[in-house]
Amino acid sequence: MGSSQKKKREKQKDFQKSKLKVGKSRPKASNYTDTSFRSKAIIINQQSLKTDAPSSSTQFSHHISLLSAKSDVQRRESLAHLTTAIASRPVDFPLPQPVSLILPSVLPLFLDGSIAVRSQLLKLLRTFPTADVEGHTSQILPYIRAGMTHLAVDIRVSAVEVLSWLVSAAGPEVVSCAGGWVKTLNCFLSLLGWHTEESARWSANRISFGKHGTEGKLTTKALQALADFLLAGIGRPEDAQGIDSDEYSPTTLPWIFPLDSAIYHMIPSKTSLYDYLNLFGQPRDAEGEMYEHREDRYRIFRDLFLKPIERGVENARKEGGDVGRASAALAKVLTEASLSEGF
Amino acid sequence: LLTRERKKFGALLISNEYPANTTSISYSISFVLVFRAIATMGKRKVGALEKVEADLPNLQHKLLRDPQSYVEDFRAQYYQYESHREIFMAAPGSSTESGIISLRDLIDFISHVADCYSDIVKNFPQQLIEMLTAHHAALDPELREKIVGSLVLLRKKDIIDSVKLIQTLFPILVSTPSKTLRELLFQKILSDLRASNSKATNHKLNRTIQTVLFNLVNSDRSSSKGLWAVKLTRELWKRQIWTDAKAVEIMKEASLTDNEKVVIGGVRFFLGGDKEREEMEDESSGDEAIDVARLRHQVGVNKKSKKKARQVEKAIIMVKKKERKRNQPHALNFSALHLLHDPQGFAEGLFSKHLQNTKSKLNLEQKLLVLQLISRLVGLHKLTLIHLYSYFQKYLTPRQPSVTSFLASLAQSTHNLVPPDVIEPLVQKIANEFVSEASAAEVASAGLNAIREICTRQPLAMNETLLQDLVMYKQSKDKGVMMAAKGLLGLYRKVGAEMLKKRDRGKDAAMGLRSGNINEIRFGEEAPGEIEGIELLEKWKEEEQRKKRIEMGLPPDGVDEEDEDANWANWDVEEEDSDDSGGWINVESDAEIEISDIEDDEPPAKKMKQGRDNSGDDREIKKNPAEEPLEAIERTSLSKFVTTRILTPADLAKLAELRSQASVSALLPGSKSGRARQAGQSSSNRHIDDPLTAAEIEGLAALSREKATREEKIAHAKGMKTDRDEFKSKIARKKERKQEQGKSTTNKEKARKKNFLMTLGKAKSKGKRSLVETRRVLKVHQERSKRGGRRGNKG
Repeated sequence: MGSSQKKKREKQKDFQKSKLKVGKSRPKASNYTDTSFRSKAIIINQQSLKTDAPSSSTQFSHHISLLSAKSDVQRRESLAHLTTAIASRPVDFPLPQPVSLILPSVLPLFLDGSIAVRSQLLKLLRTFPTADVEGHTSQILPYIRAGMTHLAVDIRVSAVEVLSWLVSAAGPEVVSCAGGWVKTLNCFLSLLGWHTEESARWSANRISFGKHGTEGKLTTKALQALADFLLAGIGRPEDAQGIDSDEYSPTTLPWIFPLDSAIYHMIPSKTSLYDYLNLFGQPRDAEGEMYEHREDRYRIFRDLFLKPIERGVENARKEGGDVGRASAALAKVLTEASLSEGF
Repeated sequence: LLTRERKKFGALLISNEYPANTTSISYSISFVLVFRAIATMGKRKVGALEKVEADLPNLQHKLLRDPQSYVEDFRAQYYQYESHREIFMAAPGSSTESGIISLRDLIDFISHVADCYSDIVKNFPQQLIEMLTAHHAALDPELREKIVGSLVLLRKKDIIDSVKLIQTLFPILVSTPSKTLRELLFQKILSDLRASNSKATNHKLNRTIQTVLFNLVNSDRSSSKGLWAVKLTRELWKRQIWTDAKAVEIMKEASLTDNEKVVIGGVRFFLGGDKEREEMEDESSGDEAIDVARLRHQVGVNKKSKKKARQVEKAIIMVKKKERKRNQPHALNFSALHLLHDPQGFAEGLFSKHLQNTKSKLNLEQKLLVLQLISRLVGLHKLTLIHLYSYFQKYLTPRQPSVTSFLASLAQSTHNLVPPDVIEPLVQKIANEFVSEASAAEVASAGLNAIREICTRQPLAMNETLLQDLVMYKQSKDKGVMMAAKGLLGLYRKVGAEMLKKRDRGKDAAMGLRSGNINEIRFGEEAPGEIEGIELLEKWKEEEQRKKRIEMGLPPDGVDEEDEDANWANWDVEEEDSDDSGGWINVESDAEIEISDIEDDEPPAKKMKQGRDNSGDDREIKKNPAEEPLEAIERTSLSKFVTTRILTPADLAKLAELRSQASVSALLPGSKSGRARQAGQSSSNRHIDDPLTAAEIEGLAALSREKATREEKIAHAKGMKTDRDEFKSKIARKKERKQEQGKSTTNKEKARKKNFLMTLGKAKSKGKRSLVETRRVLKVHQERSKRGGRRGNKG
């Protein structure tokens, strides 16, 4: 009896409201943790105290290091800082840091979860001078491909956007670098769902994680990007092979008599000339191989991709609207490619 | 149609983020912020819209349900994996945590659904293997573990085979510097081997792995890599997965390597591997017996449900399975020592490499282990290794550390084919060093024990003067020494009574010597092989025949021709219950229980008489003259019985029965002379495979220790717990049992335990009852108790 009374009182205690009193500090909560401590000295590591403001180049490298910050706001802000730093530099000045140093920390952001970061990233990429990007396409492409096959639709969209930028910036390099042709086309097919006949049907559904209604936009963008990509890869020969064949062709520049076939002895204009030998990398398979010439590319395209793409274009045309319009551009590229092959 | 999964794209990833300003002013006093971040973290809750949108487990679940419909999604994820892999291969050491999905998640995902899309993933296992083999040292630990786990998963799904899996994992196990990875790999390899041998022995796989292990041990004999081979082989031996000569061969090679760890691993296997295996078997067979009857009863009492019924069914199946397993013919597993191909070569190799070699790096303890192995080999296979005995010479002093182990090894390495003149100096040395009046009692008894053990194996190693000298110690004051000396005396009464003094010979030996039954042992002589218990069978046959003849009215002794034919007629084992054997054992009613007479063989009065005149012996013999010739007849006719007949299966069955009967009745008190029994037990109970240990040599040394001090006695008494089961009352024990079975208490117990205050009210009113009321209550109570309580005894 006595004990039960005591228990009751103890139970009651938990639900009693604590009274606030004027002139006294608020009572501590029951789950309050005391985090104060005493110390004889406080030593702070990595403290950088300077009287003058950090120089722009140190700020630039600091922001590069902040690209891997946990907070997405921080990442976005750092990207913005880099963008303005690059864009506002005087014309024909070199970048504050070479592209090869910037890229390794920038590339993982292709797959970033935050949409703001990715859009800011695209802005940054657009500020890069194209000549600097050309040498790094083989480094960039795997990230783009990873983005194109990502589970989240938004990331796929931005990956396609990045790819279109890259094609516009360094088209020939994109299609001719190792794995750039076949693997990227594979990714396109899987992105559009055109791999097999069953999957290409309109009734076939795909799981997508992301906002509602983003698929249509994705398809349009993907079709445009694919058209650009194919144009760069198997477009008309003069478009695809570009300037370097024209510049040194014997017809445009008449060489003086003792010089013959001198172009073969000139310094090559291409970066990584002997890449196709693959002296140091892993052995490549058919998918990862380099297809440097238009004929090679067209042959493998005809064998593997022509049919599914034609089928897909047909379906897209029937769909009409934005998608249909985008597919028309793609169809044009295809017919031109087959026509030029016919010559 | 499939449902579309849409989830809101959360802009924020909600991992444990610091507030945004933390990093921008990271060079401010950061720890304060950390505390603040911790304080704010608790308040944050996960909103439905903020969940991570890339949901691979969700997709995996769907893929497994309907692989065909989701092939495109899988393909996309496979390309995703390939791109990630490409990124990874460009820089294997760097972190693979990019964005939301990591390579680890992708590998996990693909390996889980790989069996549904075998055409798409055909390169996947090879890629994993390459990744692991080339970069296991640089890889992120979690990713590394994931790759190993995925490979095992692929093996379970039969996408790769065991050989390939193990050939991938094993080289990494041997070479990796990471301890956690080694543990993981070892466990995975072991479990894979067990799994692939679980249904039937996978000979091909076993052979491959054994070859790999053998080559590993042999390739670099000074490295410690062979330890993995030793560990793996020992584990598999223990679990009876490998029981063949090849596994033993691996261990043999391991014991002959240069690395001491590997050597000791191999040696320990030979010394203890078989015991470990037996223990493992006992453990696995003896675990949790299911009581079906109890389960059935519970089902009858409790509420019936399908689940309960299923449980009972399951239990019955389990029990049946176990029964079947128990009834299966027991696999005949040879011990490792018997499976050696060339024991002589092995023993010589061990001896010359680890013991004789002065450059050997083994310490004393390790050397002792090697010595034990050598001596067991020599004793078991009766090898001839003459240098071994001279090696012992310098270690046989009481001051030598762990000298009893040396003594045990020496005794073990002795057998009847060792030349006595090799052993004799050793015995002499033991006697000189250990057994003297001046030496401590423990030392003397250990020495005597060692000598006895040596002489059991090679009786010729003893000379007459030494023996007579040693036997004198039976009159020692110290119990341990006295017992040891008596042991030696008992031994020589059996094997070499003529070396003893006449008064020490004892009755049996003296009689045997006189009648010429005991003949001298010669070196190299082997006892003729005989069938154990054949004399029992012969006796039984004779009796049967006699009975039959008595029934037929013929004289009981005589040769019966028909009997032979009858024997041939019942060739097969019949299930006839012969007269007294029906699974019952006859215990003789008049066999008096003999109280132990180990202390002294003969009462002293008799001894004196014996000393005075020897005619006493004769008289004794004449008391039962019938026994003596009968024994002689038995001996001669024994060989005749075996050589003149072919034993039928029925005979053999009877023989087995008689033998077991005899062994049971020998254990009963008073069946035969207790002394003979005891003498037999010490030597014959030991299996030939069992090792002789140092503890056995020390043996009775515990008896020669001085008396315990008071403190020791108190400590001993305190060590004995009084709350052991046997000291508790019957009721308390019953109560305990009920409690642990989860039974409730009885009403009586409840009443007894009832709170005193609760009973007060009733007690008060009891006093105020009127007589009529009291009578009524009592009446009701009586009636109720007649009925058997409130519910009553029904029926």
